[in-house]
Amino acid sequence: MTGTMLSAGNLRAGYDVNEIVKSVSCSFAAGTFTGIIGPNGSGKTTLLKAFSRVLPSSGILELEGKAVLDYTPAELGRALGFVPQDEDRPFPYTVLQVVLMARYARTSRFAALAPTDYDRCRRALEEAGIDHLKDRSIRALSGGEWQRVLIARALAQDTRVLLLDEPTSHLDLAHQADVLSLMQDLARKGATVIGVFHDLNLASLYCNRLLMIRDGSLVADGTPAEVLTPGRIREVYGADVVTACHPATGRTFLMPLPTRNQPAETEQPLRVLVISGGGSGADLLRFLAGRGYNLEAGILATTDTDYTTAKALSLPCIPVLPFSQIPAHALEKLRGMAAQADRIVLSAHPVGAGNLPVLAVLREAGPVKTIIHLPEGRDIASYDFARGAAAAAVSDLCAAGAACTGTYEGILSFLDRPAPTPKE
Amino acid sequence: MSRPLPLLIGLAAAAVLTIVLCTFTGPAGFGFVSSAPGAADIVGGIRLPRVLAAFFVGASLAVAGAAMQALFRNPMADPYILGTSSGGALGASLAIVFLGGFFVPIFAWIGAVLAILIVWSIAARRGVVSVETLLLTGIAVSFFFSAVVSFLIAIAGQNVHQIIFWLMGGFWNASATDVMVSAGLLVPAGILLFIMGRDLNALSLGEETAAHLGIDAAKARWTVLGGSTLLVAGAVSIAGSIGFVGLVTPHIVRMLFGPDNRVAIPACILAGGILLVVSDTLARTFFSDLPVGIITAFIGAPFFIWLIYQRGTVV
Repeated sequence: MTGTMLSAGNLRAGYDVNEIVKSVSCSFAAGTFTGIIGPNGSGKTTLLKAFSRVLPSSGILELEGKAVLDYTPAELGRALGFVPQDEDRPFPYTVLQVVLMARYARTSRFAALAPTDYDRCRRALEEAGIDHLKDRSIRALSGGEWQRVLIARALAQDTRVLLLDEPTSHLDLAHQADVLSLMQDLARKGATVIGVFHDLNLASLYCNRLLMIRDGSLVADGTPAEVLTPGRIREVYGADVVTACHPATGRTFLMPLPTRNQPAETEQPLRVLVISGGGSGADLLRFLAGRGYNLEAGILATTDTDYTTAKALSLPCIPVLPFSQIPAHALEKLRGMAAQADRIVLSAHPVGAGNLPVLAVLREAGPVKTIIHLPEGRDIASYDFARGAAAAAVSDLCAAGAACTGTYEGILSFLDRPAPTPKE
Repeated sequence: MSRPLPLLIGLAAAAVLTIVLCTFTGPAGFGFVSSAPGAADIVGGIRLPRVLAAFFVGASLAVAGAAMQALFRNPMADPYILGTSSGGALGASLAIVFLGGFFVPIFAWIGAVLAILIVWSIAARRGVVSVETLLLTGIAVSFFFSAVVSFLIAIAGQNVHQIIFWLMGGFWNASATDVMVSAGLLVPAGILLFIMGRDLNALSLGEETAAHLGIDAAKARWTVLGGSTLLVAGAVSIAGSIGFVGLVTPHIVRMLFGPDNRVAIPACILAGGILLVVSDTLARTFFSDLPVGIITAFIGAPFFIWLIYQRGTVV
């Protein structure tokens, strides 16, 4: 990795009086692939166009230590390439004719293009996977084919800096991978590649570094793992996601969570404790997550699917070692959680001597705020591995006022009911 | 685009042949070998200037049309799109109504240039100019000037005929001076637009694209507009506003030669010249000197429609 290629200091840019980019400072080293991410209208494309000088900007903007404003248009065309999202195509140029335009900046207007220029453009067509289209009229191309022509043209410019404005927005899965791998290769060979991305997973997979902007200002700058945290995504995009490290790529990936039935902002979210185990609660936790509850999981063995799900959903829980007696401090902690909870959902799960004390905690905390989820068609006895003690404890809970349901809808209607008053 | 040079040479030969044939064609008969008294005067003094003026005007309009279509990224743009013809018409009408027909060409030229300057200054007031703003401003200014011309026609009295004939366009009074003026404008402006061919190619994909390809987009835009304005204002001052040549010739040329402006620009110069010389010769030989604008549309439109019919597409 060598020195800084492109750097911006207090950069401001916009259209007419409308300032879109507000004081952005950042720099880009040679040999890096940086993704610019942010919600719609946050100023990603404006920032990219300010970098390429097609939008006027104020502040400092330097390319290889020289102010971008001091470059002649042709110098800039040799130093910096740009792939737009889309481009008008009113005239039926052939694909090759459009790609050959990349060489204008390297040829005198009075000279014909050299054979080396043609060779470079043919190679760019191959790299973009469209050499078979070279004699086609650009008006006859699909959106994805046209996008690859624009990429080939930028490649043929042979520039040290490459700016990409959502370069894969029209591409299918295979071509997205092709194009972004190509960009990654270019960066490894020393180019400075900067791309605007909508797809955060693609950005995370291919970029070394992500810049997140909101309302024209930089809000995060770092590796994908550093930038893509659920909290920041929630704050900047207003979306709930789960993140994880992908086992195959080692990169952070994220999944949006459905947002449904969000309570009003002012309302205090209901605190719901889900007691489960043996994978019985994973589905329920996913079902309840994103519905606006302040969700918590109980005591979970670290090998349990329920534990993995709770972690992925960033829910608080009490992890314990598998196949061992629940330690006293864990039970103590659960007691605290159960006392604080507005509602407790007991998801039917295998109960043996080891986790029997959990039911006692529930009995203590208040059966009236508890609902037992027993899947329809299942007998409570089938979960009892404590020689009848578990079934007895559950019956006791029911007798003390706990509700019982066989469906998730039953749970929801219980949760939405006004706070139960404790029976004496 | 594959082999443009032989096609261009063929077109140049056709242009020379057209000029020669049409110079010896006219209502007074073929004059190749005529030794009748007055034949030399008719051929050399009347027909030759008229044929040459028609050639240069046709070439000017066609090349300006091609440049405007590329610049505005709009195949429907014509050389008059920024108000040149209505400005010229206003200048000419004013000269006809108030000066009894003196200085018509000069007033037409001033009107044409003035129209463009007004459009430019309105569109450029906010600093950044978009081609869309220029286009709409041009249309608005055109409509305003046309309204003033209509008003002048309404009050012109006995001069109505003269204004209407000017509006239709023709080469009735073509002189050696007209030839010099039109050639004097075409040669430098034509060369300028020819060497701007690749800038036009890049601009026709968008000004931002042109800038990203290393072209000084703003400078290229103003150079192209300036060169085209000189050509069109000159053409309007000599021949009035002749329609169709500037709109359709670039389309025909692109169908035959492809859209690369480095080829299309010289091809338009030759093809536009040929089209207008042939139209004017037909007008004066067979249609008792009707305004040539009628003839260009009369033969040009069916030819254009035939081309569309053959190819199924225009662009």
